[in-house]
Amino acid sequence: MITQYFDTSIKKWRQLFVGMGVLLIALFALNISLGSVAIPLSSVIDFILLRPPVDNSWHLIMAKFRLPKALTAILVGGGLGICGLQMQTLFRNPMAGPFILGISSGSGLGVALVIFLGVEAGLLFELSGIARSWIMVCAAALGSFGVLLAIILASVRLKDSVTLLILGLMLGAASSALISVLQYFSQATNIQAYMMWSFGSLGSLSWNELMIFSVIIIIGMIMSIGLSKSLNALLLGASYAESMGVDLKIIRLLIIINTSILAGTITAFCGPIAFFGLAMPHIARMLFNTTNHLLLTPLIILIGGILMLLFDTVSQLPGIEATLPINAVTALLGAPFVVYLLLRKRNIHYTFDK
Amino acid sequence: MAFFCFCVLLGCSKNKPTDRLHETVSSQSMDYATKFNIQEDHLRVMEPWPGSSSAIEYRFENIPQRVVVTSTTHLPYLELLGLEDKLVGFVGANNIYSEKIYNRLKSGKIIEVGINGKINLELLLASQPDLVIAFDLGGESSTLDKIVEAGIPIVYNSDFLEETALGRAEWIKFFGYIFDESNLADSIFTGMVERYHQLKNLTQNVTERPSVFSGVVYGDAWFLPGGKNWSAQFIKDAGGSYVWEDNLTSGWLELSFETVLDRAREAQFWIGVASINTRAELMAQDTRYELFEAYQEQRIYNYNKRIGNNGGFDFFESAYARPDLVLADLIGILHPELLPDHPTYYFQKIP
Repeated sequence: MITQYFDTSIKKWRQLFVGMGVLLIALFALNISLGSVAIPLSSVIDFILLRPPVDNSWHLIMAKFRLPKALTAILVGGGLGICGLQMQTLFRNPMAGPFILGISSGSGLGVALVIFLGVEAGLLFELSGIARSWIMVCAAALGSFGVLLAIILASVRLKDSVTLLILGLMLGAASSALISVLQYFSQATNIQAYMMWSFGSLGSLSWNELMIFSVIIIIGMIMSIGLSKSLNALLLGASYAESMGVDLKIIRLLIIINTSILAGTITAFCGPIAFFGLAMPHIARMLFNTTNHLLLTPLIILIGGILMLLFDTVSQLPGIEATLPINAVTALLGAPFVVYLLLRKRNIHYTFDK
Repeated sequence: MAFFCFCVLLGCSKNKPTDRLHETVSSQSMDYATKFNIQEDHLRVMEPWPGSSSAIEYRFENIPQRVVVTSTTHLPYLELLGLEDKLVGFVGANNIYSEKIYNRLKSGKIIEVGINGKINLELLLASQPDLVIAFDLGGESSTLDKIVEAGIPIVYNSDFLEETALGRAEWIKFFGYIFDESNLADSIFTGMVERYHQLKNLTQNVTERPSVFSGVVYGDAWFLPGGKNWSAQFIKDAGGSYVWEDNLTSGWLELSFETVLDRAREAQFWIGVASINTRAELMAQDTRYELFEAYQEQRIYNYNKRIGNNGGFDFFESAYARPDLVLADLIGILHPELLPDHPTYYFQKIP
């Protein structure tokens, strides 16, 4: 008898996943067909069906710009979403996000050091043939992994997750302060370059960069799905989790490493994309009415990708030659959506009050 | 123009007494500049900072002897007028290209009164200026107000608001008036305008106008001058056709990479690639730059030919005061047959 309910439930979820997959593909096609250069639908269809191109310029734009950008958007959206989910569960705090441990400030500091002080260092790198975009990526990665290392060392010593949270905030504040000092002593052009980085960018990844980026993010996503069971146990409380045989220290460490790799890599390649990681878990929990991480993790990967594609399409302002920074669009469109869901639900009773 | 030359001639015929200032200057409106003019007995800056609705009038009782300027773009005017020795303070010494001025700074004759455009009030007072020539992009006036409070007069220079290159260069008369060197300033400017028009006339009958675009991408945005920007005018005067010449913006455009690729892929010249010095560096930033024909044909130029030992770019320092040199460079690039003996001054082809 009970298996009957089970079956309908499985059927329901399966339908949901298929529906979301279809939506993702549809938005992917929409994202590729819309942009500041108007490309006729027939050319887009030719491109998607791999037919020989009519106008070379349009083909190049889709192959070299829109396709990598759309793939990046999907990976960034999903990646940031699951980072937020894991942090919120780990810290039992609905206000936690992927950058709560100071990861984005850390990579910001790395990038700021390269931009503001890196003229000499940059020359050195250019002589050795390393591309400048890679220098930025490495600097951002080093910055965020430096913060990560500090957090891991602390997490081995500290028992309490809240203390860890405060430590992360402190590291973030210190990095931001250093960035302001660097900015104060810098020329306007460098400040502008840093500003542009901090606006976030989905479109600056070339195919080479995207290869490495996607491998890391997909590994991180698989790892997240693997962590889901332990996250479910954590949701019921630390002592409960321990009683279920979860090694709290190891799990905490794995979660921190996983989110840091995801959030750190995303920030390194695309800049600090705000709001998304914080809001996505709430959106998923409210839309799908579940707190089961085994379901939430893949759902967030899907809906994060869907929403990021949507936001990117909006930020390209189809038909207008300018673009909006992605960072502005995510919060501008995302915040009202979260507010709407909150008002409809009246409360977020999945809060971690256990 | 004739009237203007007449004024200059009149001015030149007198020895100027130093006790009576600005005696030779009659009221004149500027030929190209729209943001300042010189009246009977005062200097009027129409729009002292962006969006300011009221003009400021400046009267000078004495010729300033110790002056502080706040932008490298003010330096070439002082140099052209031979007034370097009146400069006692500068903001942001590591941006200076001019060797003369940098040496004076090294020998302590000029004090660095702040960094990167931010004035340190104590250092400023220590340099004992009797005039500060400042600029305000809006919202920075709180420091400037403090300077006035300290009893040091400030003159706002808003040359960056001019919409034409010659208009901006005409601000040499602003400096000329302040230091009672109006006649010299007038004759320097007249000569410059003449050279500019001679150069421009060279390209009046060119049949082929090579297409030009500029800039590089930052993040997701590619910054380019609008079609009515003075850089677009330079390209037009140099016998080129700017890819966005039909655009109506006088400021700057912020476009996506794909838009620029769509319009400029077949453009012949790519002039002004920020601080990039080789095509390999361009590749290092974004491999998609190779899709431009100008990249494949190796017709990319930057403005970094003159960089000082301490890293200052002369283009950003003196080019505004020397539109004739900029135009000559662009003609040399776009139509080398018209200026066969002109080695470029600011611009260089990147390898």
